[in-house]
Amino acid sequence: MSTVAQKRLFHEYKNLSTNPPDGITAGPITEDDMFHWEALIEGPQGTPFEGGVFAAELKFPKDYPLSPPTMKFVGGGVWHPNVYPNGTVCISILHPPGDDPNHYEHASERWSPIQSVEKILISVMSMLAEPNDESPANVEAAKMWRERRSDYERKVRDEVRKGLGL
Amino acid sequence: MEQTFDLPDSTDWLGTPLSLLTPLESALRCQVCKDFFDNPVITSCCHTFCSLCIRRCLSTEGKCPACRSSDQELKLRRNWAVQELVEAFQNARPSVLDLAKRAATEDREDAEVGTAQPASKKRKVDERDGSNSEVSEGRQTRSRTKGVERQTEPATMDVVEDSQDEEYVPEDGLVACPICNRRMKNEAVFQHLDNCTGDPVPPKKISFGSLQPMSPASRTLNKAPERLPTINYSLLKDNVLRKKLKDLGIPNWGPRPLLQRRHTEWMNLWNANCDSKTPKSKRELLHELGVWERTQGGSAHPSAESAGSVMRKDFDATAWSTTHESDFKQLIANARKRSDALVRTTIPSAAPAQSQESPTVEQPVEATIPTNMQKPEQPLVDLTSAAYPKIQHAQEPGESEEPYTLPG
Repeated sequence: MSTVAQKRLFHEYKNLSTNPPDGITAGPITEDDMFHWEALIEGPQGTPFEGGVFAAELKFPKDYPLSPPTMKFVGGGVWHPNVYPNGTVCISILHPPGDDPNHYEHASERWSPIQSVEKILISVMSMLAEPNDESPANVEAAKMWRERRSDYERKVRDEVRKGLGL
Repeated sequence: MEQTFDLPDSTDWLGTPLSLLTPLESALRCQVCKDFFDNPVITSCCHTFCSLCIRRCLSTEGKCPACRSSDQELKLRRNWAVQELVEAFQNARPSVLDLAKRAATEDREDAEVGTAQPASKKRKVDERDGSNSEVSEGRQTRSRTKGVERQTEPATMDVVEDSQDEEYVPEDGLVACPICNRRMKNEAVFQHLDNCTGDPVPPKKISFGSLQPMSPASRTLNKAPERLPTINYSLLKDNVLRKKLKDLGIPNWGPRPLLQRRHTEWMNLWNANCDSKTPKSKRELLHELGVWERTQGGSAHPSAESAGSVMRKDFDATAWSTTHESDFKQLIANARKRSDALVRTTIPSAAPAQSQESPTVEQPVEATIPTNMQKPEQPLVDLTSAAYPKIQHAQEPGESEEPYTLPG
């Protein structure tokens, strides 16, 4: 039985696999469960994340696309002001317009049913390049990013290299 | 769920000489459900959505999903022009797409052949066309035969005739009910069959939308069902709300938040149906509410339905394996094909043939990783096995495991 959410997710999956944006791969882990995806994001060029490949899991609610999915980097190693130490991504596009826990996001940047997995992943990619330190998810990383940028970049590069098994 | 693999999509035009139709088709699809507009309505901020989609959005958020300006259900107006556009396009789509794909195949062959003899080229084209049509036909046949099993005798002729008509519209995602001939989504047929009255629905005007514009007479013939008003839930006590649901003829069990959500969903289904040229019966709407109940409402399992039922203690493994036998066989066949294809890709010359044969969507996710991203294949596999070890064991041993293990 195929619900609106499953169908819509399948459309997005098909779209992402036939016409993938640069540096992004995503799809359901098994086609039996369209509500659980894995995504791979390339570290954006010109940033300390360059060369890295970051795996994340996306979990979709049953009322998708009315509610947004959640996204979590798996395997650790993403040292970033907007990524919780457990890997959960904190970015405005993943927040429903109703609640604003951080009191800084414009409603226009938040989740809406016309957003998509592709837009989320592109936003996350640009988030990697340009952290938002107004309301950090990882305070340590935010402090380091603000005050000791070169240390931050070195740490990120180390993590990337570790992630690649080098 | 396997039928969704062939979901028609705007990306179908990519790679054909008509790739410019991709944005056209996107524009004819609802941005919320990504499907073709179904009873399109326009908001007061001039955005168009399916009636049901925008009603669901407005009832959760009260804002237009496209521009976030506030809007109300009452201000929605039907958008007949878009409806006719969609119908006309859906009508033309299969044959146009078929032509475009054929042209694409020929172009590719022309480019590829170069050195090869024309004779072999021709045969290749034929083979390819043959396999394509086989795939889509196979799918239809399956649903058709299942339908035949359930239906009563006298309708057999209809089915045959109908299937012939359908060869021209194999990809609109709709199939006809073998009894009443009403066209509906593939997955809706079985449920519909359970309560099909057998009365042939007046031939739907859908396919001739632009030729037979809605005459006032035909519209007044179907007496328009009355719309349900919104309720301010905070003004109602529990028992009053419960009674209200009972009066509407929908389930009234469960805690209060569920009652409210159920009423909202019913109101959305009902009012969206009021926007339809060919309104569904209340029974069908109740069925849709039942689907909602199982996926999002009171009977929803916290985990995925399929996984949830497999994990239950009283899970009936034999019944499961018989009902899903064809699915399993299909999966095994797919997996075999895929591993064959993998073997072939190791021979460089065979690679293009492989990418042509298997539709992109069926390829494992790993296959789409660009070459400079080879490394993450490992985490992907790890995650899969980590997240699903139990389900693998709980399903039919042997059969269901194949799809996981074979493609590697």
